[in-house]
Amino acid sequence: MKRILKDPLLAIGIVFLTLLFLFAIFMPTIRTGQLQPPNEPRFDAVFSPIGKPFLTPGEKGATFGTDDIGRDVLARLAQGARVSLVVGLTVQILALFFGMLMGVLGVFAPKWIRVPLLRLTDAMFAFPDILLAILLVATLSPQYLLVRLPFLKVVPDEWIGILPVVAALSITAWPSIARLVKVQVESVKDREFVVASRAAGASTPYLVVKHILPQVLPLILAVSMVEMAGTVLAESALSFIGIGVQAPNPSWGNMINNARSGDITAHLSLLMLPCILLSLTIFALNFVGDGLQSLFDPKARG
Amino acid sequence: MAGEAAPGDAATIEAGEKASQQDVERIRHQMGLDRPWPVRYVETVVHAAQGDFGKSYTGTKEPVGTIIARTLPLTALLAMLSIVVASGVGILLGTISGVYRNKAPDRLILTVSTLGVTIPTFVLAPVLVYIFAVKLNQLPVSWRVDRPEGDFFYLLLPVLILSARPAALIARLTRASMIETLQQEFIRTAIAKGVPRLRLYIRHALRNAILPVVTAIGTTFGILLTGSFIIETAFTIPGLGMRTIEAIKALDMPVVQAAVFVTGALFILINTVVDMLLPLLDPRIRESQV
Repeated sequence: MKRILKDPLLAIGIVFLTLLFLFAIFMPTIRTGQLQPPNEPRFDAVFSPIGKPFLTPGEKGATFGTDDIGRDVLARLAQGARVSLVVGLTVQILALFFGMLMGVLGVFAPKWIRVPLLRLTDAMFAFPDILLAILLVATLSPQYLLVRLPFLKVVPDEWIGILPVVAALSITAWPSIARLVKVQVESVKDREFVVASRAAGASTPYLVVKHILPQVLPLILAVSMVEMAGTVLAESALSFIGIGVQAPNPSWGNMINNARSGDITAHLSLLMLPCILLSLTIFALNFVGDGLQSLFDPKARG
Repeated sequence: MAGEAAPGDAATIEAGEKASQQDVERIRHQMGLDRPWPVRYVETVVHAAQGDFGKSYTGTKEPVGTIIARTLPLTALLAMLSIVVASGVGILLGTISGVYRNKAPDRLILTVSTLGVTIPTFVLAPVLVYIFAVKLNQLPVSWRVDRPEGDFFYLLLPVLILSARPAALIARLTRASMIETLQQEFIRTAIAKGVPRLRLYIRHALRNAILPVVTAIGTTFGILLTGSFIIETAFTIPGLGMRTIEAIKALDMPVVQAAVFVTGALFILINTVVDMLLPLLDPRIRESQV
């Protein structure tokens, strides 16, 4: 705890992310009588006496105003935060799972499995990530994913639209985790406590789960936090160019694009709010990831 | 191969919304889309290797090769200008930063480059457009068919935005590499024998420090290529990036496949060229290869 406070960027990052999570979880559910569902225009805005759908921040109880068709910006920002965090977390959990599996197999599997796996990981690095994600998002439709992976039926309807984004970003995210896990596992696997346990008759799976992974996990989690910044960024980028989260559902990316293509001068807050929120989120994830990394890695602390 | 999984194939689009099932089947047969996918995959690869990417499914059914030939030069120009700007600015700032380590110029450059790395392109683009194009009214907001001021006037803002992130990455790397180099013995020797400072930093330190930076310039090209997709959409520049996004939205798979293939090939080509450049810059690598 003391060490966390010593690193102000880490502390600020943690506070910001906590607030963001609270904002994302609770803001859409709090109905103070003024917060509209994010996809519906405000009635009083659409039919306001002046007849303009756009409310400036603070007008008629809309804290951040409404967008050009009268949707509450605060509600949409909160929904966008939900999208960013859900995509970021899901993708990183999937990437962690596959990355750790691949990384461990890359060290312990027999050669005929190991070598193709490592070559595959290398091949994934040879191609620009977002380009691959763009291709995958274009290819994997929600319907196709639902047919091929029936267990996805548990996903609530409103989230089905983001399945292709999650799938595409997970596929591009696992190789960097796999490479890190491989290097870390290799550095631990010949240490005394592992050798001792092996001498006492432990099997390889037992060693990996009980001794090796707990050693390397903190660092890997810290790195995946930095990677999550990249994922949040990629989701917004895809939504910005119009192939990620589809209208009318809000995402910070498509909110920025909407605001940009409208009359910027009139709706400056419409453009700036998602921009600021997105940039701060990416800052915070980077700071927290880097901070935790140096906290867990005694060499870097030096 | 990825084209296989796409929802509602080209035949459904071609036939239109009101077509009967038989019509769709007939068109699908004409287009050869009812054959098994491995057959079509091999066919696509063979044709692509011969430079034939097929025809676009939409609009005037333009051959994909023509589309690429028309749109790629603009994207390549954008990327090349950006990499030149990014390398120049990045190496300059990184060197200054490394020389003035932990002093005011270094702090300033580090802060700016952290911002440059973390602020996304598509946040920077509308904000800078607002400042330069809307408020100051100096630069154009988007591409025009007739460009009285010439292409470069229209490319200025996109290039600036596109090069921000690579420039920041290159600056950080140059700084780290300079700091490491400046701590080495031969630098102390050079200082002792009285080499002028500027010459010391450029001829002695930077020449050594620049090698990892050159490798990184190759990999930042990937960031540039994907960044150009976003920038072209934001500034409506009719390059390969914007055309690809249009194709994705229209499920125009031949165009998407070819565009991804071309950009991927370009990325690999650039990195190979960079790898071949390294021995020219560093006699140590040159000798170890002989």
